[in-house]
Amino acid sequence: MPFGVIYIAIMPNIENPTEKTLAALTINDPLAIEELFANEKARFDKQLAAKNPDEVNYALMKNAWLGRKAGVLTLISENWLKSAPPTLKPIVGQSLNQLKRHIEESLELFWVAAEKTSEEAASTRDRVDLSLPGVIRPAGSHHLIRQVFQEIEDIFFSIGFSVVEGPEIETPYYNFEALNIPEFHPVRDDMDTFYLELPKSATTPLLLRTHTSPMQIRTMEKQKPPVRVIVPGKVYRRDNPDATHSFAFHQIEGLAVDADITFCDFTGTIEYFVKQFFGPSVKTRFRPSYFPFTEPSVEFDVSCPFCGGIGTAASGGTCSKCKGAAWIELFGAGMVDPAVYGFVNYDAKKVSGFAFGIGIDRLAMLKYGIDDIQVFFQNDVRFLKQFP
Amino acid sequence: MKVVYTWLKDFVDVTATPQELASRLALSGTNIGGVENGAHGAVIEAEVSSNRPDCLGHLGIAREVGAIYKLPVKPVLPKPAESTAKASDAVRVEIQTPDLCGRFTARVIRNVKIQPSPKWLKDRLEATGVASISNVVDVSNYVMLELGHPLHTFDYDKVRDHKIVVRKARPGEKIRTLDGIERQLDPNLCMISDGDSSRAVGIGGIMGGAETEISFSTKNVLIECAWFEPVAVRRAARFLKLHTEASTRFGRGADPEMAELASRRAAELILQLAGGELLSGVVDVYPGKRTPKKIRVTRAELLRVMGADVPDKEVESSLSALGFAPIRIDQNRGAEGSILATWECTQPSWRAEVEREIDLIEEIARIYGLDKFPPRLPAARQGAARLPHYEAETRLRERLIGLGYREILTIPHVAEERDALFRPEGVAPARLSNPLSEEASVLRSNGLVTMAAALEWNLNHGQRNARLFEIGRHYRLNGSDSVETPVLTLGATGEGRQKNLYEPSREFSFADLKGDLDSIGALAGSFEWHEGGPAWLHPARRGRLQLRSNEIGAAGQLARQVAEKFKFRQDVFLAEFDLDRFCSAVRAAKEARRYEPLPRFPGVERDFSLLLPDGTHFSSVVNAIQALNISEISGIEAADLFRGKNVPAGKYSLLVRITFQSREATLTDAQIGDYSARIVASLENNLGAQLRAQ
Ligand SMILES: [Zn+2]
Repeated sequence: MPFGVIYIAIMPNIENPTEKTLAALTINDPLAIEELFANEKARFDKQLAAKNPDEVNYALMKNAWLGRKAGVLTLISENWLKSAPPTLKPIVGQSLNQLKRHIEESLELFWVAAEKTSEEAASTRDRVDLSLPGVIRPAGSHHLIRQVFQEIEDIFFSIGFSVVEGPEIETPYYNFEALNIPEFHPVRDDMDTFYLELPKSATTPLLLRTHTSPMQIRTMEKQKPPVRVIVPGKVYRRDNPDATHSFAFHQIEGLAVDADITFCDFTGTIEYFVKQFFGPSVKTRFRPSYFPFTEPSVEFDVSCPFCGGIGTAASGGTCSKCKGAAWIELFGAGMVDPAVYGFVNYDAKKVSGFAFGIGIDRLAMLKYGIDDIQVFFQNDVRFLKQFP
Repeated sequence: MKVVYTWLKDFVDVTATPQELASRLALSGTNIGGVENGAHGAVIEAEVSSNRPDCLGHLGIAREVGAIYKLPVKPVLPKPAESTAKASDAVRVEIQTPDLCGRFTARVIRNVKIQPSPKWLKDRLEATGVASISNVVDVSNYVMLELGHPLHTFDYDKVRDHKIVVRKARPGEKIRTLDGIERQLDPNLCMISDGDSSRAVGIGGIMGGAETEISFSTKNVLIECAWFEPVAVRRAARFLKLHTEASTRFGRGADPEMAELASRRAAELILQLAGGELLSGVVDVYPGKRTPKKIRVTRAELLRVMGADVPDKEVESSLSALGFAPIRIDQNRGAEGSILATWECTQPSWRAEVEREIDLIEEIARIYGLDKFPPRLPAARQGAARLPHYEAETRLRERLIGLGYREILTIPHVAEERDALFRPEGVAPARLSNPLSEEASVLRSNGLVTMAAALEWNLNHGQRNARLFEIGRHYRLNGSDSVETPVLTLGATGEGRQKNLYEPSREFSFADLKGDLDSIGALAGSFEWHEGGPAWLHPARRGRLQLRSNEIGAAGQLARQVAEKFKFRQDVFLAEFDLDRFCSAVRAAKEARRYEPLPRFPGVERDFSLLLPDGTHFSSVVNAIQALNISEISGIEAADLFRGKNVPAGKYSLLVRITFQSREATLTDAQIGDYSARIVASLENNLGAQLRAQ
């Protein structure tokens, strides 16, 4: 902008030319007009450059130059344009528009700069401290056992198992006899049982079910095959409580009976469940075992998910979860013993099926590293909070 | 059962390491507790399941090993030298109870020298955890651990008349057993007696008597090797609370055919270790001799149950190795792999529990290897259903969690006097006949007793703020029938609002509980609150809950006298309602719910500041206003409540906010003025209200 510099330099004290008409300024050729406008532009730029970008200065500058009543541009329009001779009017108008655009754009940039400055200023004062806590509306939580139940129910539900529930107070018939466990069967020694005190008139004893298996019988009594159910619930054994025993605990029973269910379907179903629950890399194995109500019976093991099935912990020592065995015994299961079908009037020659009983507390303890079963029942909020 | 690796090798030439062997055993059905390398070599801890008494001896485990590795098992053929004198002249045996004792064999050895056992015998017994006593006693233990069959040795000279009588116990009879304890007997017990049978010298299948025990002065030995009925032995052991190595084996079912062989093996060892002279022959009373059962197994059934085939050779080798002697009897018997294949098997005397085709299928499958049956997912043939109230319960649960309640699970066993604090009158509790303790002797008749205990636990452990819920059951007796009812229980104590940087804290109050319950109630239509409630609730801060005029529960602050029992030093709030009824209402409410078009014209709020006599309920205000039947009233709210300054005694100030809204048009000031005048007049006339300002 060489013109402006010269202009200001040579006419420092000249009166403001925008207050005079062109005629009064004795300007009558286009070049002089361009110089006039160049001077105004230079004046604006100089003023703007001298000011800190903030909201006040922005308003000042905007008012001084674009103000509708006494702004420089209004004066130019009034004094130079309106009275300009027709030959000069186009060039005055054009120059005025250019100057206006320049001022607007410059002020816009000035505004952006002003905003930035004010943000920086505000930041120390107004900005939220993200390290301070918000206002918590405390939410509750599902009990961990309930969460594990839900997860298992969902897995089995997704492959066609319905959910049913049954009574916790049972008769010996459903808890034992119909499951092929007659009185004095050795298996009864492992299932110490709570009995209810009943009036003398009672015809049958009542007990607290020692497993969810009575619902196998109740379900089959009620419906014909195909049967595919899981039964979540509480069960009871008369064991003295310690870190691994509680006289109440939780199980999920599973039962599938149909015209064509085989051992392969059984192992496939169990494998599917375990890979959903522990992840696809877990290995499984079935060991022959014995239960009176299944045959063949199995114990089901998974490769220890905590050491990856090698028996050695990451630290190098023996894995504490599988105690170095590399396998963890999860639960018992098997093909439904034909004798059981006899109790529910199913034709053992025509149907077959499988059943399993999963101990939920143990599974949760394994999965979440809990070393004392009692914490499930103490309901300390510090425990409950850990599993939101 | 501790299995000594070298002992096992007496019977089967296994070359696998003890570790390998243990894992193969585990995968074919013998549960393994571990393998230890002790002073006498490797010992495998076999946890034998109750259906396999045959595996409670090294020979039985050897049979399993033979089947797994397809190795022959060496036969047991003891041939002790016998004298010319006959056993039958030296001892007589009579079984009066063949239902309890199916076989009794007796051998006699004269002029033995009772002394400590040699090292090899002591070592083997030590490896299996059995203490060495003397050569003759050790032999009976050794043979039991070797062949799985219990034996008993008597001092022959102490057996009166050299006669054994097996009979039932007599009323009031007692015996002092080998362990020195005098035991009262039950008439169902099987007793071994001597002479005229008046004296008991042993409890059949469980333990011998002290009076005829072998001692270091014993000269002549009577070897008893018998077979007792398993159920009777289990019953007896349970009655006597006396579980021995013998009762375990007989109780699960010993091999009756083994009795004579084990006796012969014992005689052989006694001659070897204690010298003496074995009388020839055996006195063998065997009323329970069984003819071996024939059992058939077909490929068709194997396929039907297992879902995958097993080659003929594998079927036959596993069944043969286990002693079932399979023979193809079908018309296609030349053809390998025939779908018609049928094998006829003979039940070995040591496998009484194998009686059915399915039992043989299990035997084949476990030896063949369960991993050889390929897993697959069966196709679902029908839709799966959730529990009937699944959706309602899930919504309830989620809402409670949103309101800040944490789910708990409790054990229903509680102390009688605690349960009684919350038990409705006339309800019979479900009492246990064999509780573990007084504190856990009754099943809770309500969910409140365990909820209060959970709050108690938290308060005693420094957790003074808790909002808890439980979805559980309560248990009651109706005559001799049990009734289990699902209930929801709520418990809250401590802060209703936590202190934070911006607001102060506030204690949980009845209003919090009511608000929370009404939030839940909205799922089921809404709760109706009524005066009164059970005695465990504070009389001034409690209410009964109804859904569609059906009583479903109660809520409020825990009564002071109950709170004192729990030593609660802060206010505790409890609520409980019937879950099934609630969930049914949730379903019904969901089905009945319909969209209501949003109003098109603005609503207008007017506040009425009223002075009301104490005891006037907000519901009376609402009722009085509703009685005017002004259809443009769309809401009546209690906006502020105030007592004290500027309010005369006996009155309270209530700010009622009423919303007017029409579905037809915007309401005019004149209309609202008219409605307001009618409302004020009604409240003044009906409730004695005074309008303070509008
Ligand atoms: Zn591990």
